[in-house]
This record gives sequence, structure tokens and C-alpha cells, in this order.
Amino acid sequence: MQCEICGRETTSNFCELHEMAYKNLHERYEDWKKALGITWIEYIKEVLKNPNTGVWAKEVAQRILSESSRE
Amino acid sequence: MTGATVLVLCEKPDAAMRIANALDDSGRAAARKIDGVPYYEAKRGNEELLVVSALGHLYTVAPKTRDRDVYPVFDFQWQPKHLVERGSEQRRAWIEVISRLSKEAGDFILATDYDIEGATLGYTILKYACGGKENEAKRMKFSTLTAKELIESYEKLLPHIEFPIVKAGLCRHSVDAMYGINLSRAMTVAAKRWSGKYATLSTGRVQGPTLSFLVTREKDINSFVPTPFWTVKAEVEIGGSICEVEYEKDVLGKIDEANAVVNDCKSKTGKITSIKTRKFRRVPPTPFDLGTLQSEAYSHFRYTPKRTANIAERLYLEALVSYPRTSSQKLPPSIDYKAILESLSRESKYEKLASDLLKLKVLKPNEGKKEDPAHPAVYPTGNLPERPLSDPEKRIWDLVVRRFMAVFGDAAINRSVRVSLEVNGHSFYLRGRQILKEGWMRFYRPYVRVEEVILPHSEEGDEVKVVDVIREDRFTNPPSRYNPSSLLKKMEEVEIGTKATRADIIETLYRRSYIDEERILVTDLGFDMINVLSKYCPEIISVDFTRDLEKRMEEIQNGNERMERVIERTVNQLKPVLDELKLQEGEIGKELSQAIRKARMQQRIVGSCPVCKTGSLMILHSRRTGKRFIGCTNYFKGICKTSFPLPQRGTLKTMRRNCSACGWPVIHVRMRGKRPWRLCFNPDCPSKERKN
Repeated sequence: MQCEICGRETTSNFCELHEMAYKNLHERYEDWKKALGITWIEYIKEVLKNPNTGVWAKEVAQRILSESSRE
Repeated sequence: MTGATVLVLCEKPDAAMRIANALDDSGRAAARKIDGVPYYEAKRGNEELLVVSALGHLYTVAPKTRDRDVYPVFDFQWQPKHLVERGSEQRRAWIEVISRLSKEAGDFILATDYDIEGATLGYTILKYACGGKENEAKRMKFSTLTAKELIESYEKLLPHIEFPIVKAGLCRHSVDAMYGINLSRAMTVAAKRWSGKYATLSTGRVQGPTLSFLVTREKDINSFVPTPFWTVKAEVEIGGSICEVEYEKDVLGKIDEANAVVNDCKSKTGKITSIKTRKFRRVPPTPFDLGTLQSEAYSHFRYTPKRTANIAERLYLEALVSYPRTSSQKLPPSIDYKAILESLSRESKYEKLASDLLKLKVLKPNEGKKEDPAHPAVYPTGNLPERPLSDPEKRIWDLVVRRFMAVFGDAAINRSVRVSLEVNGHSFYLRGRQILKEGWMRFYRPYVRVEEVILPHSEEGDEVKVVDVIREDRFTNPPSRYNPSSLLKKMEEVEIGTKATRADIIETLYRRSYIDEERILVTDLGFDMINVLSKYCPEIISVDFTRDLEKRMEEIQNGNERMERVIERTVNQLKPVLDELKLQEGEIGKELSQAIRKARMQQRIVGSCPVCKTGSLMILHSRRTGKRFIGCTNYFKGICKTSFPLPQRGTLKTMRRNCSACGWPVIHVRMRGKRPWRLCFNPDCPSKERKN
């Protein structure tokens, strides 16, 4: 199986590196929700805009956003 | 000495010249040359001295087998460097000349740097080039190349070379060769067998863990998700001046909370509730060991640790500073503080400062904790430059001189003031800072940064008017990237590598393209290398593993461990690792080859295409003519035909930077005999019009 984002060999949807970013995205959402009271998708959009967000976290956020727009 | 001819063996040609002139009765030894190798004939009393230098290490540890594709190899021996390393041909003549001169000598003195490398290189030359003179050679021990210290050192020769240090050095070289050669070969051979193409890949006992720190940090940065927080500041009028005051809580976790503070305090009047002042002492800095010198030079001049070490080495060879490869933060009185300051006062810019220090009743340096049995901390010898120094040399010398003076200064006394005020139930504060007594800081200017913040006069109970209240929207920051200086500090902190090798290891990581840029960025190749190592031999990148080995090598130096035991242990640890790597060679080769291919592609990408905006510009070669040019990757999809010519000679390096005039990507061109230049390939770039 290959990582949906970078194509690295993996056993799940994401490689180890993007999986780490995915976990961070989920963990941090609680802080954002408490601080701003925003929805998951609003949060993802904010994170994407933020210059402090890491490259892999942005790649995962972009993926989540495009999947949500398809649904 | 017996009165026979004495061979004095030094480490570098410049050192040989200084030592020969210092020991010669007339102060000017006769310079001679054989086959381009310089040496000196000096006369001291009834002794004839032949002073010759090495050229760094002339011998190296290498496997007995010459086949570079074989691993594991554990059968190593010391061999002339020119026989096993490319680009070392010059050393052949050096060995031949030393060997020839040794036949004329009856006595031998080792006068290389007094440290592990100096002792090891001296030992191997005495043993192999001089025909087994390592046991009878005497030793000169010195920390500066000033004539005074060199003569003293010659008058008080140590009876023999420092054998425990030599053993530790021999062991370090053997262990590092075993690690470096076997692991690098395992990686290189695996990639070559899988792809059929050769690429140098390397890792080593210290290189692996160092790259591993960088990869861990890179992972933290790349997967970082910031969290929002808020701060509140207010502008208040105190004593007729507008001051910015900060809210008591540095971090507010909810926007509503921050808004509430702003609304509560806007256009209100507050009251000063307390004014607290505190005096505190700032003690002088400690003398420079190599690590702190490198760190300070990076912070003030942005010099990499390697560059600082090289400059300091040049200053040492000019007898301007003491031996720089030291871990010591101590300055013993035997260096004669007073004499150094008196000599420095001959230089106009240090005259006043040095003479002020000389007026002190007692000169006592503020020493640090770190010690080095071989050398004191880095200090200026008091000699003034005999030639105009280059700007970088001037800067490092000035830094060493001012630091030396600063360590003798009094503590600086500062006063801090904290004014607390209350506005509608919320507390704010304001801080001021003032220098009451400069102390050592005046000796260390401009390398000490102190900003004074003088507050307007106010008293407890005074009313203050709030002019404005500002909410600041902030986000947490990712961990900062390592730079060469902070990486070196990290290596020191976890005790891997030595003061002499750390800077070189960082340079190797750059040279192998595992890392890039000053604020260090790990390349894909660096990532994949650590990925492979952690998958197939995680112990190789373990800090504990290499630190344990460092400790054992230190124990050899202290006489508590045997070299043979440490080498045997290394073989026992490495063998199963290498056997496993061999078993997995196919998989490793595949992963590394893909990484190399990706890295090479990356190195050819110049930037995004300014014409189609979706493709990337890349350095390509024409299949028909073989000529190189820049083309858009979208050409292969039939979307964009953008292409630009390139110089056909010289080396090209992508810069990941855009032209300041037109915003197009630029590349760096290096051509033999010409100054390197940046090439913007936009034919209509305004910078080109200006030149025309």
C-alpha cells in the first residue's frame, strides 16, 4: 500500500510522517474549538492558511478539505 | 640531549617555521627544501636541530584488502595515506623526506599539537617513517607558539610521548574506520548493486546520531499544528509619556477572555499599585573553550563552527592566540595575565582597557567549570599581528582579546523595575532596566548586548490614563530549526564526537547533501538514509551506543581501559549489524536508490515555471546534442515549451531563490578561473538592462 499523499510504502492510508501530522491535526482541534468555537472544516481552513503549520500537516489538511468538498 | 643531531617533528609547516626560529640561537633558522618539502636547520648551543613538519596525518587506518566493495572488513592496519586516499599524493614526498632526515638524527622530539590527534599523528610518523623511534622520542608540550613558551618547552622536555593518549587516539581511529568504512560500504554497495550506478553514501558512529537529531526536529516542524492564543497590551499615560504595559497573564487561551479584558479596560483610568526595584549582579563571562568561541562567533558574525575553528587555528599558527582545540574554561596564572595585558596595551584600541585592568590589585579570571588536562582556555598571547590580518581573522582575534579582558572585569550591576497597575480590576505591568555599573561589559563591547529601558518617574497611587487597549492574535511556533552552531551545542550536550571532530561531521552532512541551508533543512536523501538506518540497524543511530563508546575511549586515555578490549567490543557489536545489512541488501539498495534518484531530480529543479505557472523549471540535457538547458517539466505533457540556454561549461547549483529584480528563479554558476555568479535566465530581466 502507498501513502495517499506522498506515495511512500505504508500499511495504512498515510505513511508514518503524514500519519504523525494527521494525529497532530486531530489533537490540536480540541484547543481550537475551545478557543474559537469553530467547526472541524473551519479549523482545517484556518490551519491551511497559517504560516506556522508544518508542510506535512498542510498536505494532510488539504487532503481532508478536498475529500470533504467531494462528499 | 646527547649533542647529536635532533629531529624535531611538528604538525604543520607554519608551526615548524615558528619552532625552528624560536629554538635557533640567532632567531633565524635556515630554511631548506627537498622535493618541495620544507624543513629547517637550527643551531642551539652545540646541538644541530632538523625541524620538519607533517602535513596533518601522513598515515591512516585502512582495511588490508583493497577491494572497495567488500564488507564487513575488520582487518585494519595503519598505512601511508597516499596509498589509500585519493588526493593525498603530496604526502608521499613528506614521508620520504622525514624518513631521510630521521636517518641523520640521533635524538627525536615530538612537537606536534598536544592533544589526541597531535599525539597520534606524531606516534605513527615516529613509528613508521622514522623506523620505530616512538619509544625514545621526547615531547615538547606548549599551548602557544610564542618564542618564550617554545624555548621553555624545549628546556623542560617531557621524557616520552603521551602513550595513554596515543592509545586512545589509535583506538578512536580504528573504531571510526570500522564503523565508517563498513556502514558506508554497506549503503553504497547496496545502492550500486540494485541500480548499477555509483553514488557515495556515508554514515558513521557520530554522523548517524547527528543526522537523526535533525530528522527528529524536521519531523516535529513538518507535522506541527499551531494553537491560537491571545495577549493583551495597553497604552497608558504615565508622567506625561505614553508607555506600553502588558496584561498580567502572558497567554489567554480563549478569544472571549481576551475581548473581555479589552472591553473592561478601554478608555478607563487606572492606578499604580506597586513599584518594585531589584538590583542584580551580572557576573563576567567565562574564558573561551572551542565550543563557546564557535557559538559566539556564529552569533556575532554568522561564521560556521568549522570556519571559526579554521580561523582560530590560523591565529594560533601566527602565535596570536593559544591552542584553540581545548575544552578548558580555565586560565592558570602561569600564562602571566599581566604580561599579556601589557603587550596588548601596545595596540591602540586595547590600550585604555588593558591599562585599566592593569591598575587592579589582583587579576583573577572568572573561570568556568570545564577543564582540559592538555591546554588552558583560548587566550590572546599578547603578540600583535606581524602581517595585516584578513577581516575574519581580525574579528576572531578581537573577540578572543576582548573576551580575555572581560573575564577579569568586575560584575556588572543592573537595576530592574517592575511597575504594577490596576485598571478596572485587571492587572498590568511595565518593566524597566538600567545599568548601574558597567563592570566587565565595557571590556566586551560590542559583543555584549544590553538594552536599557528607562521608565518615566511615577509613584504608587498615581493615576494613569488608558489611551488604548490592544488584543494581539498569536499562534504557537514550531520548534526552531538547528543551525550549525546550535547543532554543535547539541552534540556537545549529548557528548558525541570530540571538540576536534564535531564541526567536520556537520560539514560532511552538508557535503553528502543530507542537509541544506544555514537554518538546517533535512533533504529527502537525509530522511531516507535515517529511515533505512532506523529500520535495519537502529543501534547505529542511537546516541547511547556511541556515547558509551566515547566514554570507553576516554577511559583508555585515563589508563582505566584497554584499547584491544574496546576494539574487540566494537567488532562484536558491529558484526551482527553488518550481517543483517548484508541479508537485507536488496531491500536497502532499492530504498536508497530511489532516494538518490529523487534527490538528484530535486537538485535539478530550479524553481516554478514563470510562464505556465504549473510546471517546474529543470536542468535538462538534449538527447540530440548533449547540451544542457533549462526546460519546463510540463513539456513532456505537451503543455509548456518554455526553455532557456545555459552556459555549457562550469558547475551549476540551484539556489531555491528568485531574482530580486524580476522574481524568476536564479542559478549559481561556478566556472574555473572566474568569479562565481548568479544567473537569471529571464531574457527581459531589468537587471540585465541596467548592465547594458
